[in-house]
Amino acid sequence: MKKTVLTMALMPLLLSAESTYTNYSSSFNQSAFVPDVSLIIDGSYVNRSVSDDEMENYALAGSELPEYNEFNANSGLNLNYAELSLHSDVDQAFTLDGVFHFNTEGVEIEEAYFTTTSLPWSFQLKGGKFKSSFGRLNKQHQHVWDFADAPLVYNAFLTPEGLNHIGLQLQWLAPTPWYMMAGVEVMQSGKEGSFVNESFTDGTSNTEVKAATEPALYIGYLKNSFDIRDATILFGLSAAHGATKTADDIGVDGFDGKTTVYGADLLVKNYFDSYSYLSWQSEVLQRDTSGDNTTTLAAVDETQRGAYSQLVYAYNQNWRTGLRFDTIFHDSQELDPDKMRNRYTAMLEYNPSEFSRIRAQYAHNSAFTDTTTGNYKDIDTFILEINLAIGSHGAHSF
Amino acid sequence: MKKILLTLLLLNSALLAEINVAVSYPFIAALTKTVGGDKVEIVTLAKGNWDPHFVVPRPSLIRQVSRADLLIINGGGLEIGWMPPLIRQSHNRHIQPGTKGFLDLSQFLTLIDKPTSVSRANGDIHPEGNPHYVTDPYVMPKLANAIAQRLSEIDPDHSTEYQNNATTFEKKWQINLARWEKEMAPMKGTELIQYHELFNYFLKRYGLVSVGNIEPLPGINPSSRHTLELIKYMKAHNVKLILQDVYHSSKTAKYIAEKTGAKEILMPHDVDAVHEADTLTHLYDTMIKRITQ
Repeated sequence: MKKTVLTMALMPLLLSAESTYTNYSSSFNQSAFVPDVSLIIDGSYVNRSVSDDEMENYALAGSELPEYNEFNANSGLNLNYAELSLHSDVDQAFTLDGVFHFNTEGVEIEEAYFTTTSLPWSFQLKGGKFKSSFGRLNKQHQHVWDFADAPLVYNAFLTPEGLNHIGLQLQWLAPTPWYMMAGVEVMQSGKEGSFVNESFTDGTSNTEVKAATEPALYIGYLKNSFDIRDATILFGLSAAHGATKTADDIGVDGFDGKTTVYGADLLVKNYFDSYSYLSWQSEVLQRDTSGDNTTTLAAVDETQRGAYSQLVYAYNQNWRTGLRFDTIFHDSQELDPDKMRNRYTAMLEYNPSEFSRIRAQYAHNSAFTDTTTGNYKDIDTFILEINLAIGSHGAHSF
Repeated sequence: MKKILLTLLLLNSALLAEINVAVSYPFIAALTKTVGGDKVEIVTLAKGNWDPHFVVPRPSLIRQVSRADLLIINGGGLEIGWMPPLIRQSHNRHIQPGTKGFLDLSQFLTLIDKPTSVSRANGDIHPEGNPHYVTDPYVMPKLANAIAQRLSEIDPDHSTEYQNNATTFEKKWQINLARWEKEMAPMKGTELIQYHELFNYFLKRYGLVSVGNIEPLPGINPSSRHTLELIKYMKAHNVKLILQDVYHSSKTAKYIAEKTGAKEILMPHDVDAVHEADTLTHLYDTMIKRITQ
């Protein structure tokens, strides 16, 4: 009642304001300052040769290589994410980017970082939460990947989230005739994967094993690129080093050590015209973990290696197809350390326009074992994925 | 000995060149060379015979942008799909948009075909208007002056030279324009179709009428339904010319030509799009020669 009276009293005021001074709102119109906004949705239909319940019994063979299900987790229909991106200049010195992943469980800050635009001598500083430029795939978002999922070795060593933490990055472009970029990053450790850093109690001596002082993750890389006619060659070397302090499930005892992941990547991409290309991309990663296991009182010193290699052919703007081989080919803790655990993936894509993509992907995976019996299990997965983008025009980096 | 000579030669040219200019397309390189002469060292990021909308932002291009004192772009949204990552990754504070080292040539022109409503359901349209103004030879003196103005701001010592070069260009260009006007006069009112709305400025300038596009929507590949409609229309209205660009497949244009008896012309849209169009003057010479024959 009160509200109605108030509205009625204000009504003439509002009306007169509107009719007499029509230009009022446009004098302070800020719509030109709205940042570039885009929304990307990724969904899939998944059909696996084993049921979701059964799938929980299988894991990537080898020690400390947990199975992750970031994308296309369930049989049937999945909404992998709705990615909201905002980008704009802050002022003459900074730009700001925010990337938010909405899914049925909530919202995640995928990335939120500033970048400098005015540092001298070809330096650039980035800070916030961002995807590290380690390797080739790590900094790319899922919708830029050539396949619906990450290679096994990325999932195992870097988690499907990748190296994506709060940190600082400094990159430098060398004044060489070809492209050479060097970068260093310091980051807060993660909650999962190779670089967990948490305090726990050593059960034997009853003393506390303290977490390393943060930021405890250091990353460095060097990338080089040049062209030979219409082909571009890009190769990089990367390393990530950090503390690994992991408490056991009950918080007493755990692993106290450090991990280094090394990476080498190579991309050769030849364009036949504006739309058609053939690209060959490969990465090899090695993980060295050393330290003490306070439960078994044993010194740990293990090495694992994995790699992937993929060939993608774009026939024109509409059609693309690709093959990927990926493998974990060394695990020093296994009885047979050099047994290759492989997965083969094939994909075919139809892109109705620049802003939509439909992809069919089939994978034959023989890298997983039954966690109780240790027997290998072949798993076949078919994924039909759709990816749609609206809003500002997303220009992708090379 | 040969090597030393080469090194000396390179060193010499590097010393002479005072301003490193990166430009998006070959026609801008040609204009900049005309105005800047030996005071500028130019790198062209895109190739003249490839689709100007889809340039691959190769790391080698990042390197070239990072070296530049001045970046000159076509603008009007033509580079939206590939220039932003190059600028971002160049780590070059001198060429950021809004600085003296960034020049958007579309700012000096009024773009045509500005859409009244914007939706991607209508294809990959340019909200700022049609960015392919390069096909209109009349815009060139204006752009040459804009480049001279900016070069003068960056390098005031040679300002007179830049202004003089632009003035000389304008004088000579008027003779070309008069010649082309005469050559194109008989074509006035000719109806034709084109693959993409790539030649609208050229057609508007010389009074030709585009009655349809081979692509059903901007940036979308031809569909058979749209092609058949086009053939029907062309037969009914006796349309006898098809302008095909150099970077799209000419399969559909050839099919339409066969069905309608129309002539398919491969039209260059930029310097170096075809072999004969190796200079700015030769670009329009070639366009006019091909369309009038």
